[in-house]
Amino acid sequence: MPWIQNLKTHERTQPMKKIYGIILALIILVIAWNFFGPKKFHSHPEKEFRFVIASEPPTLDWSLATDNVSADILFNLMEGLIQFDSDLNVKPALAERWDISSDGKRYTFHLRSDALWTDGKPILASHFVDGWERLLNPKTASDYAYFLFDVKNAKEYNAGKLTDFDTVGIHAQDDHTLVVDLWHPASYFLKIPFFWVTFPIRKDIIEQFKDAWTDPKNIVTCGPFRLKEWKHDYSVTLEANPSYYGEKPKISTATAYIINEDSTALSLYDTNKVDLIRRIPPLLISHYKNLADYKNSPFLRGYYYGMNVKKKPFTDSRIRKAFSLAIDRSQLSTILQGNQIPTSSWIPKGMFGYDETIGLKFDKEKAQLLLAQAGYPKGEHFPSIKMVYDTRDDNKIIAEFLQSQWKEHLNVTVSIDNQEWKVHLKMLETNPPELWRLGWGADFPDPDNFMNLFTSYSGNNHTQWKNKEYDQLIEEAAKELDSQKRLTLYQKAQHLLTEEDVPIIPLFIDSQNVLLKSYVKGYTLNPMSNNILKNISISKND
Amino acid sequence: MNTLWSDAFKTLSKNKPALLSLFFIIFIILVALFANLLAPYGYEIQNPSQRLMFPNRTFWMGTDILGRDLLSRVIYGSRMSISVGLIVAICSLIVGTLYGSLSGYVGGKIDNLLMRIVDILYTFPSLLLIILIRVIFGQGLFGIFLALTIVGWVDVSRIVRGQVLQLKEMAFIEAARAVGVKNRFIIFKHILPNILGPIIVTLTFEIPAAILSESFLSFIGLGLQPPFSSWGSLANDGFQAFKSFPHLIIFPGFSIFLTVLAFNLLGDGLRDALDPKLKNA
Repeated sequence: MPWIQNLKTHERTQPMKKIYGIILALIILVIAWNFFGPKKFHSHPEKEFRFVIASEPPTLDWSLATDNVSADILFNLMEGLIQFDSDLNVKPALAERWDISSDGKRYTFHLRSDALWTDGKPILASHFVDGWERLLNPKTASDYAYFLFDVKNAKEYNAGKLTDFDTVGIHAQDDHTLVVDLWHPASYFLKIPFFWVTFPIRKDIIEQFKDAWTDPKNIVTCGPFRLKEWKHDYSVTLEANPSYYGEKPKISTATAYIINEDSTALSLYDTNKVDLIRRIPPLLISHYKNLADYKNSPFLRGYYYGMNVKKKPFTDSRIRKAFSLAIDRSQLSTILQGNQIPTSSWIPKGMFGYDETIGLKFDKEKAQLLLAQAGYPKGEHFPSIKMVYDTRDDNKIIAEFLQSQWKEHLNVTVSIDNQEWKVHLKMLETNPPELWRLGWGADFPDPDNFMNLFTSYSGNNHTQWKNKEYDQLIEEAAKELDSQKRLTLYQKAQHLLTEEDVPIIPLFIDSQNVLLKSYVKGYTLNPMSNNILKNISISKND
Repeated sequence: MNTLWSDAFKTLSKNKPALLSLFFIIFIILVALFANLLAPYGYEIQNPSQRLMFPNRTFWMGTDILGRDLLSRVIYGSRMSISVGLIVAICSLIVGTLYGSLSGYVGGKIDNLLMRIVDILYTFPSLLLIILIRVIFGQGLFGIFLALTIVGWVDVSRIVRGQVLQLKEMAFIEAARAVGVKNRFIIFKHILPNILGPIIVTLTFEIPAAILSESFLSFIGLGLQPPFSSWGSLANDGFQAFKSFPHLIIFPGFSIFLTVLAFNLLGDGLRDALDPKLKNA
């Protein structure tokens, strides 16, 4: 009885069709609303600033933090003794003034008396002493303890040779006077207390809450903002701190969204979900360059490939030199398109000691000659080696560029591998491969911060390269107050690092490529890319 | 036998989409084979001064961010994609056929055990398995072959087992057994030739599946490492800039699309042609 079946299906499909119709109409309505509906739908509160950070901040405990992401938050929650203006001149912060003794060894910081913690207690010199003790305490195991090694007995205390902190040259003379004694005069020492590891701490809070002291409900800070909310792996929200001693921020909240894909961040920016992003993938930069929102400014950051000098074939300095000589770095600026400056030396442009003449410039014949002398004429029988970078779009492009340069100029095949940032760092600490990528950004604007990196005692030197002459030059330069003599010392050290022994291949000096909405005013791009939000304001007049 | 294959070919030649697909596949395979003769430039030759050009007379498909000719890269990419597709499909076919026919022919407890192993592999999330194998065997080509084969042979073994189960109850097999023909001989001489049709159909579906899987792996960054590139990794490179430089994703994307479509249409046509039940339908 086919007609009965037909009837049944007919009855069933009729109401179904109606439901589909209604659903379709709804979908069309929603889409139409999105396109043509009132634009206020997407707007956000006037005084909220939204930006992007590349990962979850590993920690907000400023004695332990070592990375840029934590710093993006910490520089707004806290302040140090001094701060920098946009041209990197030293300005007072928690210290309203300071005296330096005539021999350059004693620094006396006079603290502001009106500065308060968020729980209402005044900031005392002893809070700085506590903070510096915690940084140097061997139990804290901070990577950045060596920042204070110019201070009397600090290295010994950190090594556990001295147990009485009173012997270390850091004392609170009274509630508002901090005295620091150095082993030797150090021209850059005044710039160090800008760095987050030197911020004061509240020992009572840390002891009370233990590891949970950085939770929003426990943390006590003293900067222009305070921590309002921390949704792990999603966002960190800051709000203006009403007890801040200085001018109060003009925005009420600042939210950092944790987004690790650059292209995702870009599309959020395009759809007005965030107001600031600070990295643009090279493939897209030419598209955004013409926008009024695009800002470009210099950056004290070096991009380099390191070589493991304990691993063959890079045990031979001739091969290391050949690899550095075989790169035509001038092409990097064409590829990257963000005003990056190709460099063969290590101290970045904009910093004392920059010298573009130092380093191994592109020289194909010399590179081939050195490779032949090392036993691989025309790259024959060269062992298989690997270069490893941390997964990021620009790193991939640069790795492919280097691979083809070495293939073309040396006839050497290098295989490429990539891994996540945390895995990458771990591998560099335990067993670095033959070739690996890293960058180094200035913690404070002094060449010591860059050159110190490759000393034999630096925890961040993954090349396994240890050179006594280099160590000595860096130590001497740190003490030297005469800038001409200091410059000569750094030139010698740079020669050694990038021309003679060559444990690293410097590639270019990075630049800041930023997209900032035009309604945000007062955001400064300082050459250390410090994310300082206290001066910004948002004015939407449309 | 002869009539079966000639009948099949007749049916296939009447199926225009399948025939067209067959020609397209032959064309792509020829391109892959003679990539070094066809490509106007080397796949890894960089020229940053000519970066990110749109398709023009010198660069028919434009250039990428390092100034490499996209047409050459797509041509060389076909080599990677097609060889991954073919090798993975053939490997899974061999493993799956042997496994499936053994399981089906022997039967009983062994069949039960072997099929439970297949079930376990089936329930295991394949992407997870692939990532695991890639981590152990590194990022080379071998790792991709192995990972995709391990995931791919499972389907084949099930199909083959089903076919064998059906066949072994048939009179001519029983007759062979009764005369005392060795089991190995029965499997290779009597059973396998009779299930060749379904096996070939499976092959034509396994190849595009492997090509797609490889593209997907390369797209999420688990595939080939530079300077080698497949269509998937090319699409991944161009993906971000699809607004400003659409050519970077359109050409490799369409290559994947057309090839996979062609294999699927051909597979459909072959199934219609080789399945006796559908004959004269």
